Amino acid sequence: MNENDELRIKKLLQQALPPVEGDPEPGRDLWPAVLRRLDDRPSALPWFDWALVAGLVAFAAFFPASIPVFFYYL
Amino acid sequence: MNTHPYLRAYLAGVFLPTLVLPLLLAMFIVVRIVLKVPVPIEQAIIFPMAVVPSLFGLWNMLWLGSHPHTHLSIGMHGPILPLLMAPAGALVATCLHVLEFGSHGVTWFHAFQVPYTLIAPCFLAVLAGYYLVWKYIVGFLNRVLGIA
Repeated sequence: MNENDELRIKKLLQQALPPVEGDPEPGRDLWPAVLRRLDDRPSALPWFDWALVAGLVAFAAFFPASIPVFFYYL
Repeated sequence: MNTHPYLRAYLAGVFLPTLVLPLLLAMFIVVRIVLKVPVPIEQAIIFPMAVVPSLFGLWNMLWLGSHPHTHLSIGMHGPILPLLMAPAGALVATCLHVLEFGSHGVTWFHAFQVPYTLIAPCFLAVLAGYYLVWKYIVGFLNRVLGIA
């Protein structure tokens, strides 16, 4: 491939891909929106998990001897 | 960050038991020295110190390796572990005289009586606790370490 071929290919590519019209940059900074979206991930526990937590607390309250046994397995 | 995923899985698994162990030791010491309850710390601490953290780490490694095939969530994988650990822990505790079987129930650490009727609810509570621990704590650590 000589220099003429390279120039011809460059010209063809420039014709095939027209330049971007207007400002190629977005109108505003998108990074804060990305961070906000990451922070907005749902963190609420499902009702089933809340029920399990409540059941465990109630079980430990009514039967405190189970607490050291639970810790033995943790 | 795709290097050594199994090492990261092991570290994420051992995190919680390693964190709980000093608290457990402190609790036993308070019960024995302050409350003067003759709890055999030396025997009681062997299983939580030597077996539980390693099993947590290995179980998390197993989850990482098997997840592409089983598609089991971490919250469902965790509660399977007590099915192995409960008999193993009870066997170790019996051999070390930490767990004694009586006519109406078992006695843990020479101090805590558990009637036979409450063993099944206790086991269910352990399963529920493991479900929550693995889903929210180990799962969170797996995400932080980039393996989930």
